[in-house]
Amino acid sequence: MINIDPRTKLIQVLILSTLALIYNELSLLSLILIAAIIIGLINNVDFISIISRLKKLLKIIFMIALIQSLLTNMGNPLLKIGNFTVFTDYGIIKSLEFILRMGIIIVSAAIITTSSSREIIQGLIQWKCPYEIAFMVSVAIRFLPIFKEEMTDMITAIQLRGIDLKKVKFNKKFQVYKYILIPITVNSIMKAKELAAAMEMRGFRAYPERTSYMVLKMRAFDYILTGLSLGVALLFIFMRGAI
Amino acid sequence: MNAVEVRNLSFKYKDSKEYIFKDVSFSVRPGETLAITGRSGSGKTTLCNCICGLVPRLYKGELRGEVLIFGENIKNISIGDTVTKIGVIFQNPSTQLFSPTIEDELAFGPENLCVDREEIGLRMNEILGIINMEEYRHDNPNNLSGGQQQLIAIASTLMLKPSILICDEIMSWIDDEGRAIIKDILLKLKKEGKTIILVDHDNENLDIADRLICIGD
Repeated sequence: MINIDPRTKLIQVLILSTLALIYNELSLLSLILIAAIIIGLINNVDFISIISRLKKLLKIIFMIALIQSLLTNMGNPLLKIGNFTVFTDYGIIKSLEFILRMGIIIVSAAIITTSSSREIIQGLIQWKCPYEIAFMVSVAIRFLPIFKEEMTDMITAIQLRGIDLKKVKFNKKFQVYKYILIPITVNSIMKAKELAAAMEMRGFRAYPERTSYMVLKMRAFDYILTGLSLGVALLFIFMRGAI
Repeated sequence: MNAVEVRNLSFKYKDSKEYIFKDVSFSVRPGETLAITGRSGSGKTTLCNCICGLVPRLYKGELRGEVLIFGENIKNISIGDTVTKIGVIFQNPSTQLFSPTIEDELAFGPENLCVDREEIGLRMNEILGIINMEEYRHDNPNNLSGGQQQLIAIASTLMLKPSILICDEIMSWIDDEGRAIIKDILLKLKKEGKTIILVDHDNENLDIADRLICIGD
């Protein structure tokens, strides 16, 4: 297994997400997505497991793309029912752009997750990022599963009281979620405070500097990958100039 | 000189009308294990937070009286010095652990105190030996049982080499087997001369204490 420095991954992800934002052309976005997948494979990303975990998100992305396509009237009509234009070429292109961009972002996030949060923090610290900010990012990421756990617990508690959310109408379901949002937020704030107490009692921010048990070292392979990534990024920028 | 001296301590949380406890006074000798008991809501956790300085640093309210740690008022001790004098282990192990591996978790405290990495490595080996969890050092703390997580929380605190250890209902989330292991470790630390304040509402967990005090009604 190739062990790549988290800083190399951060550079790659930065390049990929920047390119995804600045380009609109379908051909270039497709190329960026392919490059992202190749980088992901080099970083040992398990795409099958990611696709199965993000099934719901992928469905939402395709739904948004479909709605966006249906609501776009600009361009040449491709499918018409009576006077109503269902799909236009412009709408389809915009939806595909959205899908490709989201794909690049998901692959970029998957590349980052191949390093542990502590490795990412250490990478940022060795880039001279203030350690308080680096830890803040890590703790914020840690809270996402806590939110999900709290949400699952609350929904289970509601279902145990005899409310089957699958049978509840959409507008009522919305109301149920509104009710559980307050306890979830309160519980999360309490957990955040407990975490802050635990961190403080282990001397967090006791001094302006801190040492690190973990030390990251960029190897020749990391420099080659970083150079290649920057080279490919420049090539893309040149290609855009040429188009 | 007493390790801990609490003099006429009263505390009322911000926006609360009533004092959670009033005029609490006691002292703990160096090397002594003191048990503090009381019914739920009597202010045991708040008292722990007052002793270690989290009140009023993190939890705001009206604090009267004083807490002396080896003769020095806790208000005048910096965070860096506080954590090498007092270590606190909280009730819920999962909210105390936030690193992706046990090694990272244990290193977090000494890193904050600018301890060099060779020394951190030595302390880590020693403490993982005490809690008998050497083989788990690269594991994620979230994948451990409640008892094992609490052991890691104890180890993380011990990495700072505090003279006083406050255990705030640390056995309430774990099973009998886990409790027995934790009690064994606390007894080991007691023999080493650590001052221990053991807080619990269940008297069965307090049998290793030298003395017991009760707060509240």
